[in-house]
Amino acid sequence: MGTAVSIELAADRAAPELRALIADVCGWLHEVDARFSTYKEDSEVSRMRRGELTSTGCHPDLRHVLGACADLWRATDGYFDAYYGGVLDPSGYVKGWAVAEASRRLVDAGCPTHFISAGGDIAARGDRVWRVGVRHPWDETKVAWKLAVRDAAVATSGTYERGGHVINPRTGKPARFLRSVTVTGPDLTLADAYATAALAMDREGLRYLEKLATDGYESAAVTEDGRAFTTPGLPVAT
Amino acid sequence: MRRSTAAVFGTLAGVGMIFGVRMAAPTQIVPVAEDAAAEAPADSGQDAPADEPADAPADDEGDAPADGGGAGGGLTDGEFRGTGSKYAYGTIQVTITVEDGKVSAADATYPTGGESATINPPAIEKLNESALTAENGDDVDAVSGATLTTEAYRKSLQAALDKAAG
Repeated sequence: MGTAVSIELAADRAAPELRALIADVCGWLHEVDARFSTYKEDSEVSRMRRGELTSTGCHPDLRHVLGACADLWRATDGYFDAYYGGVLDPSGYVKGWAVAEASRRLVDAGCPTHFISAGGDIAARGDRVWRVGVRHPWDETKVAWKLAVRDAAVATSGTYERGGHVINPRTGKPARFLRSVTVTGPDLTLADAYATAALAMDREGLRYLEKLATDGYESAAVTEDGRAFTTPGLPVAT
Repeated sequence: MRRSTAAVFGTLAGVGMIFGVRMAAPTQIVPVAEDAAAEAPADSGQDAPADEPADAPADDEGDAPADGGGAGGGLTDGEFRGTGSKYAYGTIQVTITVEDGKVSAADATYPTGGESATINPPAIEKLNESALTAENGDDVDAVSGATLTTEAYRKSLQAALDKAAG
């Protein structure tokens, strides 16, 4: 995926144990990359694209991802589309899901208080408040908001790193109205997918974010012309 | 006879206009259409058709009343409820009050709860708008951003934080 991952474990355990936990997380993320990469010719996703692999013959994780993408396609009225242009690309789902799974592994291994950040998708878990900055969309050394979250996920989708990589499926053009969308809520997989979907919706994205707040997903968005929007319940740090 | 304000059915902007009329100038007159069904306003052909196009409500505030001829506006006093109008976020129903032949109040009701509640006030205003700020992020644990490449990561605040954390 070419994505940088930060892991912080807050556990009173011996260093070798912590290193083993981190190694396990890294191993899992590499496994995900090998299976889901759209850049690797031999990944299952690439093989499925070429018709060499069917949904019955693939790994259960890929089957899960395909099903989840289909659910999200329905839930977002088609704005989250893992088959845009007829080509399978579940990356928009996989990153958030991979981090959420890694977080679950740490909890299972007895390390409930931790954060994992992969390319800006953050799982901040456990019984403490994590301070999470939302990157300023024009200045990578600054933050636009500081959030205080406890046992929550934060995901940001933006046009500023890779240009217009999020396509509005209604127009067929790159989404341009919103430059950055951050969603925080209980589930990282959903938060990430919601942020991407809102970005794809252009102007409608703001209305969509407002509706998400009733489901417990608060958000912050910055428009291409520099206006900042937040839901009233956004957990801004004091 | 039922009357309703055809103007408000077109857009959310129209609804906002009606609220403005009500709060700012209770006795001001808004154009009305006769028995206007939501989906087909001003088509009834009765004696007081709208004198304004239904799709251009926003500029109508304070304009002359619907025709009706002369002083008093020619409207029948009373309270009139429009038919419910469906659109993307639910159903809206407008009630107007006519006194001395003039519209003295207009109110809109919505089903509450669920998605439909989001139309009041117009959806986008539920989000707080503020100036974008740029703060130093040296007191956060992590940064959420669309940092997708290792190169971007290397330059990012998150990289600095990770380094500081040792």
